[in-house]
Formats: sequence, structure tokens, C-alpha cells
Amino acid sequence: MDFPFVREAVVKLFSKPSTQLYPAVPSEAAPGYRGKIVFHPETCINCGMCERVCAGGAISTTVEKTEEGDKITRTFDLGSCTFCNTCADFCSRHSIELTRDYHMIGVEEGDLLVSGTFIKAPPKRPAPKPAPTPKPVEEKKADTPAPAPEN
Amino acid sequence: MFKKLIEESTAKSPWLFHINSGSCNGCDIELVAILTPRYDVERLGFKLAGSPRQADIVVVTGPITKQSLPRVLRSISQVPEPRCIVTMGSCPQSGNVFKGSYSVAGPLSKYVHVDVDIAGCAPKPEAIIDGLALATQILKEKRGQM
Repeated sequence: MDFPFVREAVVKLFSKPSTQLYPAVPSEAAPGYRGKIVFHPETCINCGMCERVCAGGAISTTVEKTEEGDKITRTFDLGSCTFCNTCADFCSRHSIELTRDYHMIGVEEGDLLVSGTFIKAPPKRPAPKPAPTPKPVEEKKADTPAPAPEN
Repeated sequence: MFKKLIEESTAKSPWLFHINSGSCNGCDIELVAILTPRYDVERLGFKLAGSPRQADIVVVTGPITKQSLPRVLRSISQVPEPRCIVTMGSCPQSGNVFKGSYSVAGPLSKYVHVDVDIAGCAPKPEAIIDGLALATQILKEKRGQM
């Protein structure tokens, strides 16, 4: 007689259960997991590529005109996100990052929103060059001294 | 006396009822995953109920298609008060990639009050356990108010 699984059955009988005791023992997501979005507004240049490639329409932008420049607020709605990483792939400045944080639970409105604000100002104009001073017209008569150029 | 006994015993063991309203099955598989021996959510008292009349927590997945909307609302109305409605995944919260489709009847919050949103596409089983634990607390508060 052949009992193929006897050894395994005995080993499993004395081994620990494979259950993860999650709330008691914290568990970490695998490397490369795409979770909560982190937005770095200081490096964003407002090219709008992320909004254009987003399949779920989760990214929205509001522009407010201020004296310093355009005040741009970019909002990521995690309740509408597919976590496909396309926005981060297309971001040329690496301003969008999908972290390994998976604790995304919303009770009230706005719990699942990630937003960042930055001010985009037009580049400052270079200082105006000093106007070229007109060259004193040389007079043919060498006797009279040339008048001093007036500024 | 019986009422108090029932309330105490149900507070620690909320039963789940799962409604699929046109989901892609990703969230459904994750919900089944928390019942497997790996996560074993029954050790925390959660149990999948077969009928909405026995449930305390309703878990809705999917973008609420037009076909499923009356059935979803009918099932939710059969769950006795106090109940807690949990949306799982991005679809019932906003429509996700199906947003704007002719056959999607929009987010669930347009029709009923949603207590807890679990974000993710699909959410990780640990996140679902977190959300359900929060739903249990909300359920306890609601029971205290009644």
C-alpha cells in the first residue's frame, strides 16, 4: 500500500496556520504596488499630460488668476482612479508618484482627494538694456571743440 | 432582555451581503479572498450571508448598470436597519473608466447614503478588512442611536 500524502499531512498538522493576522500584525504591500497617489506640486509645470491620458477622468485642474501668476490646483480623485500608473509614466518631471500605501478609505466627502497647489508665473522680463548713447557728430571744422555729449 | 442579548451578539459578528452591480469581477475575487484561510475574516466575526434580510453590512461592487439599478435598490431596501452600505472599488463611487457610458446609471451615492468608501482598483484585501472594521464601528454607533 502506498500513502502518498501521509508525510505532508503529518508535517502540516504541526506547522503554523498560514493565516495572516492582519489587523494585529501590519502587512506591507509588495514592491511595485501602485497605491495612494502622491503629487509633488513644486516640480509640476502644468503641461496637462496627466489629465489627458487619464482613463478614468480622475485628474482635474483649476486655475485661479492672481497677481503673482496663475494659481494652479491639481486634484486627484482616488475614488475614480484605476491606479494604472499612466499619469506617472507620462509625467516628464516625475511629479506624480504611486506609493505602496494601500489604506484608502473614505467616510466623508473629500477623504479620497489628493491635491496640490502651485503658482505658475510667466518668466520675468530681462531688464531693459540702456539706450545706446548717440555718437557725437564729428564736425568738419577741427578748430571748434566737439560739444560734450549730453546724456 | 432578548433585544439586548441580540444586539450584543450581533455587534461583534456583522454579516455581509455582497451585491455585484455589473462589476468586472476583480473586486468580487478580492472579497472572496478575505474569506479564504489566508486572510480568514471570519476570525473577526464577518460572515457572508446568503440573503439581504439577514445582513448588517452591504458591500456593493461594480458601476451600477441600468439593468442592475432596480435590483440593487430592492436588495438594499430589504436589509434591515441599522445597516451600513460599503462601496468597494472605484466603480460604485464614480463609475471609474465606465463613467459616461449609456448603460451606467451613475454613482451609488446618487440613490442611497453610502457610509464607507474603499478605494482601489481592486482594493487590497487588507484595505477591505480596514473598511469593514470601520463599517462595524459605524454600525455600532447607529445601533446606539436607535
